[in-house]
Amino acid sequence: MTMNQDVVFSVKNLSMSYLADRGRVRAVNNVSFDLHKGETLAVIGESGCGKSSLNLSLIRQIPRTAEIESGTMDYITREGQHIDVLKLSPARLRKFLWSEVAMVFQGAQNALNPVIRIADMVYDTGKAHGINKAESKKRALRLFEQVRLDPMRVFNAYPHELSGGMRQRVLLALSLILRPQVVIMDEPTTGVDILTQRSILEVLKELRMQLNFSIIFISHDLAVAAEIADTIATMYAGEFVEMGPVRQVFYNPRHAYTLSLLNAAPRLSVGEEELHSIKGSPPDLIDPPSGCKFHERCNFATDICQHTVPPIERDGAHQVACHHSDLVRKERAEVLNK
Amino acid sequence: MIGFETVASPVGLIIGIVCGLIPLGVGLRYGHVKAGVWGFIACAVSGFACGFLGGLPMILMATAVVFSYAYVNKQDPFTSRQSLEEVNFEETTAEYVIRQFAAFGRTLRAMGIGLVRNKGGFIGFLGIMFFAIMSIFGPLVVEYEGSPRMDRRESPQSMTLFQLPSNEFPLGLDWQGRSILSHIVYGGQTLIVTSVQAGLMATLVAVLFGSLAALLGGFVDQILSAFSNFILTIPQFPLLLVLASILTFTSNFMLAVLLAALSWPTLMRAVRAQVLSLRERDYVEAAITLDLGLYHIIVREVFPNMVSYIAINFIFAIRAAMYALVGLVILGMVPLREPDWGIMIWNAQSRGAFYNPNAMMMAFAPIVAIALFQLSLILFTRSLEEIFNPRLRRGL
Amino acid sequence: MTEQQSLIELRHVYRSFEKGRVEFPVLQDINLAIRPKEVLCLVGESGCGKTTTGKIIAGLLKPSSGELLYEGENIEKFRGKRRAQVRRATQLVHQDPFSSLNPSHTIGQILGYPLKRHRMVKDRVELRRRIWELLTLVDLTPPGDIVNKYPHQLSGGQRQRVSIARALTVDPNLIVADEAVSMVDVSIRIGILKMLHNLRDVFDLSIVLITHDLALAKYFAWEGRIAVMYLGRIVEIGRTPDVIGNPAHPYTQALLSAVPEADPSITRSKEPMKLRSDEIPSLTAIPSGCAFHPRCPFHQPGFCDVASPRLGVTKQHQQNVACLPLNSGGELVQHDS
Repeated sequence: MTMNQDVVFSVKNLSMSYLADRGRVRAVNNVSFDLHKGETLAVIGESGCGKSSLNLSLIRQIPRTAEIESGTMDYITREGQHIDVLKLSPARLRKFLWSEVAMVFQGAQNALNPVIRIADMVYDTGKAHGINKAESKKRALRLFEQVRLDPMRVFNAYPHELSGGMRQRVLLALSLILRPQVVIMDEPTTGVDILTQRSILEVLKELRMQLNFSIIFISHDLAVAAEIADTIATMYAGEFVEMGPVRQVFYNPRHAYTLSLLNAAPRLSVGEEELHSIKGSPPDLIDPPSGCKFHERCNFATDICQHTVPPIERDGAHQVACHHSDLVRKERAEVLNK
Repeated sequence: MIGFETVASPVGLIIGIVCGLIPLGVGLRYGHVKAGVWGFIACAVSGFACGFLGGLPMILMATAVVFSYAYVNKQDPFTSRQSLEEVNFEETTAEYVIRQFAAFGRTLRAMGIGLVRNKGGFIGFLGIMFFAIMSIFGPLVVEYEGSPRMDRRESPQSMTLFQLPSNEFPLGLDWQGRSILSHIVYGGQTLIVTSVQAGLMATLVAVLFGSLAALLGGFVDQILSAFSNFILTIPQFPLLLVLASILTFTSNFMLAVLLAALSWPTLMRAVRAQVLSLRERDYVEAAITLDLGLYHIIVREVFPNMVSYIAINFIFAIRAAMYALVGLVILGMVPLREPDWGIMIWNAQSRGAFYNPNAMMMAFAPIVAIALFQLSLILFTRSLEEIFNPRLRRGL
Repeated sequence: MTEQQSLIELRHVYRSFEKGRVEFPVLQDINLAIRPKEVLCLVGESGCGKTTTGKIIAGLLKPSSGELLYEGENIEKFRGKRRAQVRRATQLVHQDPFSSLNPSHTIGQILGYPLKRHRMVKDRVELRRRIWELLTLVDLTPPGDIVNKYPHQLSGGQRQRVSIARALTVDPNLIVADEAVSMVDVSIRIGILKMLHNLRDVFDLSIVLITHDLALAKYFAWEGRIAVMYLGRIVEIGRTPDVIGNPAHPYTQALLSAVPEADPSITRSKEPMKLRSDEIPSLTAIPSGCAFHPRCPFHQPGFCDVASPRLGVTKQHQQNVACLPLNSGGELVQHDS
């Protein structure tokens, strides 16, 4: 992978916090990543780890009680022009979203307005971004075909006439209608059935190949991440504790939290297996633990974890912030060898 | 009824003071003097205001609150951090009673916090208390002026007795030279009591019928729903007018019954819908598989989750009853006697106060009183959710 | 293997719901026997009838026709005290930890009501001790920190543990866990499942876990059985290693081949089975013959769409399958694309 040349979205030191009654909740803390052209980045973690807050921050749709405290979000258009997303005016931001960065929200297949035909959704989206009806329709029909739907039938349908899986594919198609370079997906396959999930994944893989867009994929499902991600970022307590190429993270994890997640995920291909859940619960982000935020729940934790924030170690594209990365790697190797 | 003759009388005060001795005693016994004194004051005031009706419940509540300070959770082995082997749950009956009292007191305190926390709701509460205190204790301060006061003419030549507010008469004088303030102070009693009675009856009937219809379903549901639909289809106010003109009301209570009889269906449908939705909750299903019984399901599982909803609708029922009552009085359909805020408006209208700037207080004062009372009620409903919903209450 | 008497048995159970004038046959001819201390997973996609089956087992729904047997006797035959006991012997743990506990009660109260109602304890002291025991059993320790809390003050996983403790108050013989962990976090699911396994040993419980997650079912029921449901019927049932390792029914095969795996190399080399159609037929128009035939790549025209398959043995498999070609001793052949 060539470095920096094909980066489309570069986020540096992004921090976001909510103001709650009891104090400030740092939901996203110092998150940095580069998203390359055609790359799929999966952000995984438990609920309450800050995944959804990160998602909202990336598209600047944060609630009123929240604020983006620091960081830069640099988006590079196809023409090589840099856009500082955090500085965009609200009007410019509206244009920017959908046409450059689109999103598919969690459970959105159930949130489609029941009285608006798919066709009108297509036209409205086009109109808001200065595309005429004929062009919108042409693009939509082509995309519907690419997501393996019957184009004309879907185009003229109301949402309730489509099944959940079809609606999810319609949303996927709609998100691509303005040819964005980046699509953010928040748990797109949560709550859908196995075979439906499979068809969405297949369609997604095909589309990605044909249209070469980048994906930020937010999920708690390791299996789906293993299937479609190029890069995995593990998020804990608002921070990216480990990020690296998918095979590195799965076969050579170096953060204790990543390892714990892997040890909690059952696999079909393995016969009888030993799994472990993570003790305790996610930390209180108003008053987070000292040192490594995971130390209270970590089996490897020693004194140093309590007192010192682990530095980020880099090994090529693989980066991790764990005091005991070697022990973690060793243990994973033992599990895999078994 | 018990206690009514003692309202705002020395007898009531004595009752209140006697009641107050109990929380005071408990406070002294357990070393929480401050809580005890406050309990004493609360009992004395409510006894003074309502006699036994106010004094007796206040004993329970004040004592419970005092206990809740004296018996802190930490003393209860149930909430200790010991292990199962170490912990000893043995306790005497007295300790058990105190524990129960303390738990009740904690709930009351949590409710109190819920009441204060919502600013709008608390303002509404203060407004309601203001009108209650004015109606109960006002007569001790302000004398009622029933007969015309010709002596208050500004000059012997003056044709009218109207007066705008002055230092002597804070709300001015009406067409007979009587102090409007005295009518405001005395004129709320009947109106408020009758509205509350009507609201209470409508709510009771609605909750009873609504829960029955939803829980029993089938034939009962059909009959009750059809009945309520029938009443709902009749235009309410015209019917009220007709009934009021045919029937002669011997008492305000009868009037309250009539108002309640016409207003319960709306609330009943709301209660029915609420029970139907609560009935489908997973925890009700769990109670069924645990075989906890129908009584438990209604009283313990369904009802607690409707309390705030019922309370809010009770307030709305009072509000609606008051409007209907005032409307009837203004139209002269109900032979209510003075003093009454509704009759004040009727007088203002029939004496032409609407066209005379000097007489404007005659209309203005009762209208503002009614509007403020109504506003207080509506604001107060905002707090009810926080008072009754444990999810919104802050734990103690 | 000696034939052990089953704890609960469903015989030819049918169940339908009415919506307006349309009748939905949700369950058709379900035959299922659950043995004491057995772990059974019901898997399938939404609308397959697994939840309805669970509710029938838990006694919350009555079959439209067919029998429900408890220790060999029809459940309708029990009277009086015995009937109440039998009803309580099967408990249900719901999916949604947010709606399965009454928000108005503290955890202590939630556990106390059934204990008091059914005289499971003799006095106040024992009541409180029992509540502590139960909370300790479901790993909510120290219990003193939990008893006076309201459900909204607990996390989803903790609430699910309280639900399980509540089910245990009445000493059940069987617990139906309806997607009991699908709404709690991945990282703590395993803990709850392990706890269920322990409780099974302590209380001699049978456990029926209803789930859509095959990997989870495989993990939980490795020593038990899995039943795969499709459109209101059980299409395959057998010991877990057999069903997962050597799936017989084309639908089971399709599911297994479609599930992503938490292992990049394996999941990317999987070849999902191509179905003839992605559409799940509506319950109002269940296809004739084998309900899976319009989607089945091994469909044999004139056979699969005519005769109705019944659960039975095959030559190649240990488990019972309801697939016509396999039951008649043949093999699955892909005909046309």
